[in-house]
Amino acid sequence: MSERRPFHRLQPRHWWAHKPYRAYTVRELSGVAVAVYGAILLVGLFCLWRGQDAYAVYRRILASDWSFVVHAVLLAAVLWHVVTWFEILPKTMPKLILRGRQLPQRQVTAMGLLIALVCSAALLVVVVAIGAMS
Amino acid sequence: MSDTIASSKTIELRVLRYRPASDAEPVFVSYRVPYTDDMSVLQALQSIKDTQDGSLSFRWSCRMAICGSCGMMINGEPKLACNTFVRDLTPNAAVIEPLQNFPIERDLVVTVGDFVKKIESIYPYLMPKVPKPIEDGTYLQTPAQMTSYESFSDCINCMLCYAACPQFGANPDFIGPGAMALLQRYNGDSRDGGQQFRLDRIHGEDGVWACTAVGVCSEVCPKQVDPANAINQNKTNSALDFFLRYVRREQP
Amino acid sequence: MDHFDADILILGAGGAGLRAAIAAAQSAPESTIALVSKVYPMRSHTVAAEGGSAGVVQDHDSLDNHFNDTVAGGDWLCEQDVVEYFVEHCTPEMVQLEHWGCPWSRKPDGHINVRAFGGMKIERTWFAADRSGFHILHTLFQTSTRFPSIRRFDEHFCVDLLTEDGRAQGAVVLSLSTGEFAAIHARAVVIATGGAGRVFRQNTNGGIVTGDGMALAYRHGVPLRDMEFVQYHPTCLPGTGILITEACRGEGAFLLNKDGNRYLQDYGLGPAEAKPRNKYMELGPRDRLSQAFWHEQRKGRTLTTPQGEAVLLDLRHIGSARIKERLPLICDLAKQFMGVDATTMPIPVRPAVHYTMGGILVDIRTASPLAGLFAAGECSSVGIHGANRLGSNSLAELSVFGRVAGEQAALFARGSSAARRSDQAADVAAKALALLDQKGAGERHAVLRAEMGASMEKGCGIYRLGPEMQNTCDTLAELRKRYAGITLEDKSRAWNTDWITAIELGFQLDVAQAMAHSGLARTESRGAHQRLDGFEQRDDANFLRHSLAHYRSADTPHITYAPVTITKSPPGQRAYGALGEHEEAASKDVSPKGGRPPAPKDPAHV
Repeated sequence: MSERRPFHRLQPRHWWAHKPYRAYTVRELSGVAVAVYGAILLVGLFCLWRGQDAYAVYRRILASDWSFVVHAVLLAAVLWHVVTWFEILPKTMPKLILRGRQLPQRQVTAMGLLIALVCSAALLVVVVAIGAMS
Repeated sequence: MSDTIASSKTIELRVLRYRPASDAEPVFVSYRVPYTDDMSVLQALQSIKDTQDGSLSFRWSCRMAICGSCGMMINGEPKLACNTFVRDLTPNAAVIEPLQNFPIERDLVVTVGDFVKKIESIYPYLMPKVPKPIEDGTYLQTPAQMTSYESFSDCINCMLCYAACPQFGANPDFIGPGAMALLQRYNGDSRDGGQQFRLDRIHGEDGVWACTAVGVCSEVCPKQVDPANAINQNKTNSALDFFLRYVRREQP
Repeated sequence: MDHFDADILILGAGGAGLRAAIAAAQSAPESTIALVSKVYPMRSHTVAAEGGSAGVVQDHDSLDNHFNDTVAGGDWLCEQDVVEYFVEHCTPEMVQLEHWGCPWSRKPDGHINVRAFGGMKIERTWFAADRSGFHILHTLFQTSTRFPSIRRFDEHFCVDLLTEDGRAQGAVVLSLSTGEFAAIHARAVVIATGGAGRVFRQNTNGGIVTGDGMALAYRHGVPLRDMEFVQYHPTCLPGTGILITEACRGEGAFLLNKDGNRYLQDYGLGPAEAKPRNKYMELGPRDRLSQAFWHEQRKGRTLTTPQGEAVLLDLRHIGSARIKERLPLICDLAKQFMGVDATTMPIPVRPAVHYTMGGILVDIRTASPLAGLFAAGECSSVGIHGANRLGSNSLAELSVFGRVAGEQAALFARGSSAARRSDQAADVAAKALALLDQKGAGERHAVLRAEMGASMEKGCGIYRLGPEMQNTCDTLAELRKRYAGITLEDKSRAWNTDWITAIELGFQLDVAQAMAHSGLARTESRGAHQRLDGFEQRDDANFLRHSLAHYRSADTPHITYAPVTITKSPPGQRAYGALGEHEEAASKDVSPKGGRPPAPKDPAHV
């Protein structure tokens, strides 16, 4: 029997709360914000389906001060989710080689965000236009 | 280390020691080391070994961040001791520990064998698409073709990425960033035709799917290999391979 | 103790050892190959080589050119038949590495790119960015995993060879993780353990380059050849000795003294031109460049840095883009270790010990005089480097002679009986264990190592003096005595690096003695062995011979001499720069281009 006796150190339980993993944890939690948005929309649709009164309650709650604060936080979280999503995008793709040089990942992220911004703006315009016309 | 003048500046190094012959578990030991501005942590450890405690064991060799031997946790971050400098750690005590997520053999030496087995498991050699005799010379490969895999070929096998990866910490069977970088080095090489063999190694919970794109592996890599890119681009390959295998099976 | 039977045992898994293992596995697929390394193979010091590997490819180049450059570079101490074999096989070996995946740098059309290198008439150095050794080593290691007949013993330290009946029969190895011994019995043994640069204080080498295999062969009666020839690489970071590749000079870097002058033109290497010119100025051979530094320092024209005297390697005019593309590692090293941005500031550099030209005596088949014992790579003296090695010939050597060693060992093993399981193994283990319990004056071996390094630097430096070499010989004798009294602090078995480095020190002291005594005995100047004590000239009449150092246990080594094989290139003037062109033209009976030829200068006494 040799002296060898490897010692197994446990992974710190709260690794996700410490540097350098905090940024990752925040990013993952921002995904929860997307889910919460979805849930709020779903509740709204349900109320709409239930009828005028239910929907009126829904709209009153939406118009409250608390709701405004919650939505502001959710919006920030979702925007962060979008930004970090595009930051990961180049990691999920093979290296893009243009004219013999690798396209820097920052540029891929920037282009992705730009396209997302343009599409969002276009969608907003369309929605507002439809709303105005009806 | 400059031996021109005896230095009056000292730093305290708190080193996690573990001697299996005598210790039930690792314990911190403090050393006070005189230092100069150009001294690396490796040189500080050598100074301890040469003048204070000859029983301190750690791996090292090249001193220039190319052999990959001296990875360890310095103030909680996985780094190479040979290119981490004492001047950046003072005046507080520096905490030196063996690499996170690996079993400790002794002092700052961790078990490396499993990592080497992972490298060996991914067919880490060129399987040429087209056989060519030596007399016919080299394959052609343009600089642009080399750029698609070049960064992955720079991996020095230092395992800092494994120390940084919390999913590897949770699951030691995860193939991990370093092995995946080597896999992609070959899969991305225009001369290679062994992609399918390697793809068979990346599926499942111990393959690429253990990765949740934490990304710290690429941040700590001393050679800008970007292993996070190697793993995450293969998630697409893994998924495609999974679905396409049904198509492939149907072909005569 | 565990016993393991193999057909071939290879000690060392660097470039040469891995190449030998692959060659043995390919040429004799039914053989068992034990590959022993005290570090994981990718940590071997081949990994740190930067510049490149030589192989004739260009249409206007020829094997004769490579041959002539090598023999002249070696100051005619090369075994010319071996050099002929070598230059013929370099290119096929480089192609083989490429077929195995080595990412050689390319021209835009996809063909191999070659760069200029010191002492080479025409560009023939294949390179993989500025990490050529790294890529070669990783390619070889990864390729070796294809062969299940290669059984690796990673992190196993070789304590001694097993020899019996006049034959090498294996080795006793120590597992670093457990501290337990194992005996590997083999029909043929290949030593590929690398050089011994760590015996000097300032060196480019990694901590593992301690001459283990050289010492083991030496102690078993194999002579060490040409040990006095130690190469000082001219451009290393002051203090650490970290290597700054010759490739910088191949790309056009200048060497400047503290006044901003390209001083090499004062030492017979000029004239200085704006663009790099092969065999001129900064592309002269390493020994001449290191010697020029020594003279500049004596003249007070070097820069004083906190880490010692230095000159400046100026890359700025090469341009930021090209520097980052061709020399990325150098940029990192200059930044991290010297705080210098190589694209905007020159890098302080100075010579440091880099390579051991000498080593285990072997013939063209890499066979040593001890039956069944082969050697390849830096640990061997196969005869291609002579008195001074040209850059990029060493990485090529690993492949060319690594392959030969593997094939020859396999051939020998096939024709031999099985190795006997000797009782020697137990004695070897007992002797190594005795060091653990050794109680003497209680000195730390680190003290002895530092004294050895300082003494070798002083006595066996770039220029040597008889009395100083004698001092070093005396110091080494004294250190060997004190070695018998060192006490280890660590008495445990698992990962006891106190013990391992103490055993390595024993190897180093023996090898250093061979170097110092060989140097003292060679009363001439040739290549990297330059004297300033009345023996400043090359003396072909008496010393166109190899030195052989023979081990005599507690006594000092016995030095004998052996003839040099001359085939196509009779000894001539070793000249570079304009002087070199003149000499070459004169020897071809063609009148030199334009004007009067420059007056020949003796570079040692400017």
